[in-house]
Amino acid sequence: MRHILTRARNLGTRKPGLTGVAALSVLAIAAAGCGSSSPSSSSSPSASTPQSGGTFTILANSSFGVADPAQNYTLQEWQLLIDTHDGLVGFAMTGGIAGTKIVPNLATSVPLPTNGGKTYVFHIRSGIKFSNGTPLEPSDWLTVFERQFTVPGGNPGFYSDIVGASACSTKGCNLSKGVVANNAAMTLTIHLTQSDPEFMDQLSLPFAFAVPQNTSMHLTGNNVPPGTGPYMWKSYNPNTEAVLVRNPYFHVWSQIAAPNGYPNEIIEKYGLPVSDEVTEVLNGEANEVFDGDQVPADDLSMLNSPKYASEVHVNTLTADWYFALNTRTAPFNNVLARQAINYAANRSAYVKIAGGPSLAVPACQILPPNFPSYVAYCPYTTGKQTVWSGPNLAKAKALVKQSGTYGDKVVVNGTNDTVGTELAEQMVSDLDSIGYKASTQLLSMAVQYPFIQNSVNSSKWNVAWSAWYQDYPAPSDFLNVLLGCGHIVPNSDASPNIAAFCNQGIQNQINTAESIEAAQPAKAAAMWTQIDHEDTNLAPWVDLYNPKQIDILSSNVHGYKWNPQWYILIDQLWLSK
Amino acid sequence: MLAVLTFIVRRSLWTVVVMFVITVVVFFIFFKTPGVDPARALAGRDPSPQVLAEVRQQLGLNRPLWIQYGIMMKKIFITRNLVSYSDQGELIIPEIFAAAPITLSLVFGASVIWVVAAIVMGVAAARLRGTIYDPVLMILALIGLSTPVFWLGQVVILITQVKLHSSIFSWVQLGYTPLTQSPVKWFEGLIFPWITLSILYIGLYARVLRANLLEVQNEDYVRTARAKGLSERRVLLRHTLRTSMITFLSLFGLDFGALVGGGAILTEVVFGIHGVGFLTWESLTNLDLPTIMAVVIYGAFFIVLANALVDVAYAWIDPRVRPT
Amino acid sequence: MAAIAEQVSTTELRPAAAGRNPWALAWRRLRSNRIALAALGLFILIVVVCLAAPLYAHDLAHIGNPLSPNLNGTTVANGKVVPIMQEGGGILHLGETPIGPTWSLGHYFLGADGLGRDVASLVLYGGRASLQIGLASAVICCVVATVFALIAGFFGGLTDTILSRIMDIVWSFPVILLAICIATVLLTQPNGVKVGFLTIYATSLWVPTFIIALIYVPYVYRPVRGQVLSVVQKEFVEASIAQGASNFRLIFSEILPNVISTVIVLLPLITATNILTESALSYLSVGVQPPNVSWGTIIADGQDLLYTRPWVSLAPGIMIVLTVLALNVLGDGVRDALDPRAKLRVK
Repeated sequence: MRHILTRARNLGTRKPGLTGVAALSVLAIAAAGCGSSSPSSSSSPSASTPQSGGTFTILANSSFGVADPAQNYTLQEWQLLIDTHDGLVGFAMTGGIAGTKIVPNLATSVPLPTNGGKTYVFHIRSGIKFSNGTPLEPSDWLTVFERQFTVPGGNPGFYSDIVGASACSTKGCNLSKGVVANNAAMTLTIHLTQSDPEFMDQLSLPFAFAVPQNTSMHLTGNNVPPGTGPYMWKSYNPNTEAVLVRNPYFHVWSQIAAPNGYPNEIIEKYGLPVSDEVTEVLNGEANEVFDGDQVPADDLSMLNSPKYASEVHVNTLTADWYFALNTRTAPFNNVLARQAINYAANRSAYVKIAGGPSLAVPACQILPPNFPSYVAYCPYTTGKQTVWSGPNLAKAKALVKQSGTYGDKVVVNGTNDTVGTELAEQMVSDLDSIGYKASTQLLSMAVQYPFIQNSVNSSKWNVAWSAWYQDYPAPSDFLNVLLGCGHIVPNSDASPNIAAFCNQGIQNQINTAESIEAAQPAKAAAMWTQIDHEDTNLAPWVDLYNPKQIDILSSNVHGYKWNPQWYILIDQLWLSK
Repeated sequence: MLAVLTFIVRRSLWTVVVMFVITVVVFFIFFKTPGVDPARALAGRDPSPQVLAEVRQQLGLNRPLWIQYGIMMKKIFITRNLVSYSDQGELIIPEIFAAAPITLSLVFGASVIWVVAAIVMGVAAARLRGTIYDPVLMILALIGLSTPVFWLGQVVILITQVKLHSSIFSWVQLGYTPLTQSPVKWFEGLIFPWITLSILYIGLYARVLRANLLEVQNEDYVRTARAKGLSERRVLLRHTLRTSMITFLSLFGLDFGALVGGGAILTEVVFGIHGVGFLTWESLTNLDLPTIMAVVIYGAFFIVLANALVDVAYAWIDPRVRPT
Repeated sequence: MAAIAEQVSTTELRPAAAGRNPWALAWRRLRSNRIALAALGLFILIVVVCLAAPLYAHDLAHIGNPLSPNLNGTTVANGKVVPIMQEGGGILHLGETPIGPTWSLGHYFLGADGLGRDVASLVLYGGRASLQIGLASAVICCVVATVFALIAGFFGGLTDTILSRIMDIVWSFPVILLAICIATVLLTQPNGVKVGFLTIYATSLWVPTFIIALIYVPYVYRPVRGQVLSVVQKEFVEASIAQGASNFRLIFSEILPNVISTVIVLLPLITATNILTESALSYLSVGVQPPNVSWGTIIADGQDLLYTRPWVSLAPGIMIVLTVLALNVLGDGVRDALDPRAKLRVK
């Protein structure tokens, strides 16, 4: 459940432009998928043999906040944590769709569950040491999982199905019944209270990466505990820089899960305006512009120069930018009204706000392209019903008439940064064009997501901008988390189903798909496709586009690979002299 | 002497009252602003209701507001371990002290420019009274007073980074480099922010100084000095300018204090200089209450300190001025 | 300008001036101040041009509402139909750039902003908002401050102490924080907030107007209170008190006329300051809210386009400088005319 806010946290600065900032907008231009689009994936032709050594310098406008891996939920830190820490299992450290595959890492294999999907037994590799020299033991994970509960505010309950978790709180946690370690036999057994088809995905996230068992049960602040990866954290200061150096105890045990890295040192520096970052990287003074930083429109034209074609990479993200329609209140408790605005929404205008077709792909459906179970579908357009080609105003107006909501007042909620304001104003214009009386309600980015996600405020808006970036490649991460009946929480400030959309028929299908996931993956996949299209037909959202992301590297960087889960794989890049 | 002391004590007490009222108002406005739930902000994405309740408990957010206020003040003044709501790894007090030298660099450089330029302009205008130069200089001063500083910053950036960047301004880099790291880069990065920030004050101070000079010119002792046959220049430097500088310096004290306390927010934002003003702006957009409280107190401290120094200096010089 | 003040003062010393109605005198002095008159003319011109915004926008009738987005629109430049948003070139085609100035009236004279809107008409409509906020807040501020100053100065004692202390606190309050909080509170109330018989909506121009008016109240309050204190001790007031005049009568017919000139001197200067403050708040996105535009919001939006389309922020900035300059010059002239003895004083 990664909302855009995961990266937005540091964005404070965003609005005053040149300087920067990141955040959200970041995303505005960002993107992901599996790089079908651009001259990406292939490393530069001059790249002959990869060579180790050198210092790889990343420039980021701002830091990722608190560094404790039990609390940090930003891709910015995760891109570094995958080089310093390892989980039982992990996403393959490679580019393209192969990078969504889960492979064994500190465990010797990816176990199949037993006991009706509720028990997993892992065999832990021996001979592995943390960067402080302590040997890795299965009992380290007891600390890892207990810290998920004693350090508040990290993950959204990914591990709450572990036996004993329900009694855990920030005051204390005892998972000895649910996480059973046998250090002599090097096995780790995890017992769940109910089966969870996404448990392996959740174990592949940095929350579950191994840290020594003597790690404090409290927040470690900006000190990162030792890990087992090829690098270790030498220092981190959110106002200046993070420095990663080689872990002297590291050896390769799995080329695909934890390959050795090329640079001797990885430094991420904070605080420059993004346009200066771009200049420095293009001049070769640094190696990478952090991919979450929004490249100012002014610099985009420079990047278009053919001179930089091999240094700039664009990938579509598995993410949605959308307006949720409030299904609790008029006019959008009426499905016809929801469909009307979907027909009217001029997606090519939104794409232009995002930086044009090379930086965003118009979308109608919930699941993003290059995602499991994705089959292109777009009922809300003039042409063929697979891709969006233009708004259908006539149809939209007819539907508004038919729904009896003509002339209704509509409040459009959004963020008050440049891109957020522009999106909201375009939505107002689209709503006005079919006869609604729309107005904007623009809040600062730090307030907007908590505000719309708080069901107490649901009577205060009709249309709310939001964005969602996958946590891991599972359709339920979109279809259940954002549109499932169970994710509407009344009177709560944590109600991720912002539209409050609930269709019992679809919910039954979601439940079935989840239950058969492990046994009949193909059938489940087909069901998810069906659910995606049915949701789209009932129009709980106006899906706008799937964003793309720009990677800017200096000319001496080779070996660029784009992983759909982690995006750029930093330690797999190498520097030519 | 005793009177001055009494005055200082009264002044300080009043200061404490003002700061108390401001912090209380800020604190309560914050908790009345919808959508701002610090527990929600700290609990990460999509926390479960239990986690939220625990975080609330842990932060003392379920206690009465006045106790929470007390806890926050204690963390600012006594334990000095106040932590940001938007980043729990971030200790706020050290963060402000890291930003302070940056703001100080900006304000110090700008104040040197504006004091020198304003004296030159003000004196020139006064000396050249009756010629066309006086109104021209004063119109220039008024233009300085009428220009929004953030827009001026944009124009400066446009000129130095785009229009003339490839020719005469290729050495101009935006961004702050500490003086200790490289004095040359420190200067190059700050020279244009200095100029931008100083324009308004040059206009203001030149006008004040000119007016004072003209006023003092007719005072008896200046006439006497002239009658003694002192040169016009000597009269100006020795007598008129000296007297006129009293108002000038007291204004300077107030403005310098306000700017060091974070008042240069627009200049810092437009140039991306991460000083106290920028920190203030960032904490406001994130509605990060602990940081807001800390920067408000920090800023108020400097404003009040400058005010008090100026008042005390006045009281010392002129016993008639003993304001309430 | 002070040279002019100087000239004014010599005229004023002529004996003919004695004994006339002080307002007529002031007007005569102002009329003879050519620079101040030019400033007044410039200010009126700006006001008229901004009020005429719909006439210019009428020219753009082909794009409908000039304040709504026009991202997919086209316009005519050099006789050719061109898209308003232009896709980036090269191999990657990154970014969309709005059209630059065509310098042809009615066809994106100053180019387009990030939403494809005509910058020239935005600047005209934005000027209406900026001027309205500047003037209205100055008037409100002066009225409120004068009322408080009259009460404080007239009654003195505890009333005076309390009011003056409140003013001190308002003066030291962080303005931007106040603006952000009020904007956030209001924005989250879609049906507005009721204040007495008034309903204030977050997107209303009255929100920045009231915020700005509030923060400058102490600025006007202090000098006016000083005036009131000195007037209260004059003989004619004491005489009225002796005659048993009511407090209300005393304040409004005896004291007010004697302090009003101070307020009038301050009015153009406060308007100028308030226009600058509005632009600063809008630049920090806590001033004017969409769909309204003001000069400050246009400059803020223009910052993202500064390198490629500098006119988006240059044009409103130039308008602000001209307007504020005109008001400052006018303010100097009014001060010199009303209060020639203070001719050399600034602030």
